[in-house]
Amino acid sequence: MGGQISKLMAKVFGSKEMRLLMLGLDAAGKTTILYKLKLNQGVTTIPTVGFNVETVTYKNVKFNVWDVGGQDKIRPLWRHYFSGTQGLIFVIDSNDRDRIDEARQELHRIIQDREMKESLLLVFANKQDLPGAMSPQEVTDKLQLSKLKDRIWYVVPSCATTGEGLIEGLVRFPPPYLLLDGSDQARTNNISSLSFSFESFKGLAI
Amino acid sequence: MEVTDDDTLYDAESNGRESGSISMPTSSEAESAAQRTSYQSHQSQQSQRSNMELQQPLHVDYILVAEFSIDKGPTMEHQYPAPISGDEHMLAELMLPDQTHLRFQDWTIFFLHKEEEESEEYPGQQPLIYVLNLVNTKHDKREKRGAKVKAMAICTRHSFLHIYKPILLLALEEYFRKPTLETLAELFVAVNSMDMGGVPNLSVFERQILATSQNKEMFLEKFDEIAQQESTNESSLVQSDVGNRATYFEIGPGSGRSKVINGKLGKIRDSHEYETSVTYKGVKIPIKVPVAVMPETVGDFSLIQLVTTFSTPHSQSPQPFPLHPHLTTNGPYTHPVIVLINALLTQKRVIFLGHGRPSGEVANHVLAACYLASGGVLKGFTRHAFPYTDISKIDELLYVSGFIAGVINPMFANQPSWWDVLCDIDTGRIRISPQLKPPPPTDGLTFFNLNPNMGVSDYVKHDTMDNAFMEDVQHCISMRFGEWAVRARWRDWVIRFTRMATAFEEAVYGASALWIGHEENHVIKGHGYVWADEALKTRDLTANAARIEGWRGTRSYLTLVQESAQLYQAKPIKIVDLHHQIDRLRVLRLSHEDSEKIYMVLKHYVDDYEEINQLLCVIPETQNGIFPIAFGLFHPSQKVRFAVVELLEKISTHMAGRHFFNNMNRFQRLAYIRLKQEKENSGGFSPIATDGTNGVGTFSATTTPTTAAAAGAARFTTYGTVGRGGI
Repeated sequence: MGGQISKLMAKVFGSKEMRLLMLGLDAAGKTTILYKLKLNQGVTTIPTVGFNVETVTYKNVKFNVWDVGGQDKIRPLWRHYFSGTQGLIFVIDSNDRDRIDEARQELHRIIQDREMKESLLLVFANKQDLPGAMSPQEVTDKLQLSKLKDRIWYVVPSCATTGEGLIEGLVRFPPPYLLLDGSDQARTNNISSLSFSFESFKGLAI
Repeated sequence: MEVTDDDTLYDAESNGRESGSISMPTSSEAESAAQRTSYQSHQSQQSQRSNMELQQPLHVDYILVAEFSIDKGPTMEHQYPAPISGDEHMLAELMLPDQTHLRFQDWTIFFLHKEEEESEEYPGQQPLIYVLNLVNTKHDKREKRGAKVKAMAICTRHSFLHIYKPILLLALEEYFRKPTLETLAELFVAVNSMDMGGVPNLSVFERQILATSQNKEMFLEKFDEIAQQESTNESSLVQSDVGNRATYFEIGPGSGRSKVINGKLGKIRDSHEYETSVTYKGVKIPIKVPVAVMPETVGDFSLIQLVTTFSTPHSQSPQPFPLHPHLTTNGPYTHPVIVLINALLTQKRVIFLGHGRPSGEVANHVLAACYLASGGVLKGFTRHAFPYTDISKIDELLYVSGFIAGVINPMFANQPSWWDVLCDIDTGRIRISPQLKPPPPTDGLTFFNLNPNMGVSDYVKHDTMDNAFMEDVQHCISMRFGEWAVRARWRDWVIRFTRMATAFEEAVYGASALWIGHEENHVIKGHGYVWADEALKTRDLTANAARIEGWRGTRSYLTLVQESAQLYQAKPIKIVDLHHQIDRLRVLRLSHEDSEKIYMVLKHYVDDYEEINQLLCVIPETQNGIFPIAFGLFHPSQKVRFAVVELLEKISTHMAGRHFFNNMNRFQRLAYIRLKQEKENSGGFSPIATDGTNGVGTFSATTTPTTAAAAGAARFTTYGTVGRGGI
């Protein structure tokens, strides 16, 4: 029954494509997240020169995910990727307390850009497997997300090497009807769901 | 040989060593400003060089090393002998192309523009610097993030920069081992010690003849001359190397010398290449330097590859283009390569995108496209080419009106406001930007009853013959005629286009700046392109009207206007348009009187060495070579036959002409020998004056094409006229 409905929905709405942009400081884990999503494999990455782009299909939705290198000198290039982006994934190394302020500044700079006005914001509080990682709540506070007006945002804890949290984050982007499907609860995707349970913090200002 | 007028006709890039300088004719203010800010170069480094270096142009001006720093991103590590640019970060970004982390090795090419003021201050300096860059990614668990990414670049004024590939491979490896300035210095000395003293200096005509010939012995004598000069120099001059322009640093036993001292030429296998070497780290690396480089020919690109990339999907399943008068000259199903050359001629913004490909492959497509539109005739494409660039340069790129850029970032495909024509190397498809506006109406279009909003039927009505041409090119590729043959065909296409444009301007505007000459002084009237009849002329001019109008006023057009005047000055024979008259012999069915006139004028005015060169330039191998002249051996008038014998005799003793002479078929050769005998016996006059007509009625070189085909053997010269219009 559920399967039929989803087929019907797919017929009505078609499969949807979304362009997502994944940014964050260098060594936050962006490329590892991308290839875990794409290949369901932990890949050993080296610093990204320029960018990576992959299409990740989940249910009816094709996510076109752009991963752009995060070194200090190349951050000014991020703006060239803004136009046409529907969702921003900002990746935080939850273990890097020294640079969380730097991350906050970069994040606020991005979402203030005119071309990013419409885009949803997902923050991956990554590297949760490391001892002493900041909690999602702590990341939310340090990034001062509560200051954001007119913006839908989510913070999702993740561990890129195991894949935990990644799909939970990704499903925030498309409108829910697109993901309707009988197996929605069971999450039959091949990425393991969170074995440790975090609250996903969801904020909606105004 | 001194730098003469002839030499200034070709960019210094055409042979790399001389000092002709050509300024950009139409760079807009904004454009040059953009170039200034992007690739600015200091003058100060000049003073840092030794006096010796200033006296001689160097082979390699700079060597750069950049690293992708895991904390900061692209960083310039060393520059030798001095910093090259005001914005070294931008250079470092170019040296570390996108997605380098996905591959172990990549080559890129980019160009540096010197500031204009500087080129005026140093008139001997050519402003464009070619950069060959090698980047390596070395995975290493001991490194902090698992890998080291480093790049080394050689900046040279030689357009044949690919000769440095083997050396760069060794040097970058060495730099990974020993990342110091010393490593760069050592390389700098090695590459600048390369001996090019034995490369002959060619005049503009000689260079053209050599470049359009496949004969491996063409101008071999020039090497001999140099060898003899050198050996006499060496015996008379003791240890004084001032006269030897190529030797800057003496290291070890001279590599090029040994063969020179004996005055032997045993080593020269092909006169198109000069064999020399660079000794680096005790390894002698053989290098072949091209002797006659055509303008706009940079690196070792493959035109065959470019044509194949965009022909294959088209031949399997053609897709219609949205109509644009400049671009879709044969309607919605215009061949994509023709759309590309139209875009380049009419100075559109062209991007080559190859996602997931090494940037070197993308760069090669860009360089091939430069040749495609230039044909070694038109100029101004490489100067506005960015063989590899990335998204960080987009603001500067958009200042340039009409560029050819290579990128690997698919983001460019999402932004049709950034380009007019997008060539997707991955799919082999070409797209016209939906934002590209139709051109304004012009006199030329009105003249031929056309308008900028032409419908499909208008395009189809007037055939440009480009489809037939593309078929010929593809045949040429599938029959493995080779890169040279394909380049020669494009060269012919471009020459034909420019000559048609000249006729077009004369028809529409009454005169053309592309034709220089004083026809009132001509011994035989007429100039320019020759059509078999008026109907064909109208067909060609109508079909080409839109793109010719689009080409007028572009940089390549204005440069050609400038150069036509210079070329005219360089021509020893000004009293007749040789190209026009030879074309008349080829294309028209001339009366005996008309052909007699042409042959008599050729005999009379083509006499000395450079005059023969000028003639040889208009009878290239690809267009049946000497055939139209040799045909005069069968003219009904003995006077003409003897005149042709005399002319052929002169050609046969000419350094280059002898090869053309040797290409005559057996039939022509026998006639030549018989007539020569006859002429000697009669002392120049024979009683059997009207005997030798051989039954040839109307006199035309085109009536017996099979003669050439039969004797042409394996040479593809016999295919030469296919695809040329008006035949």
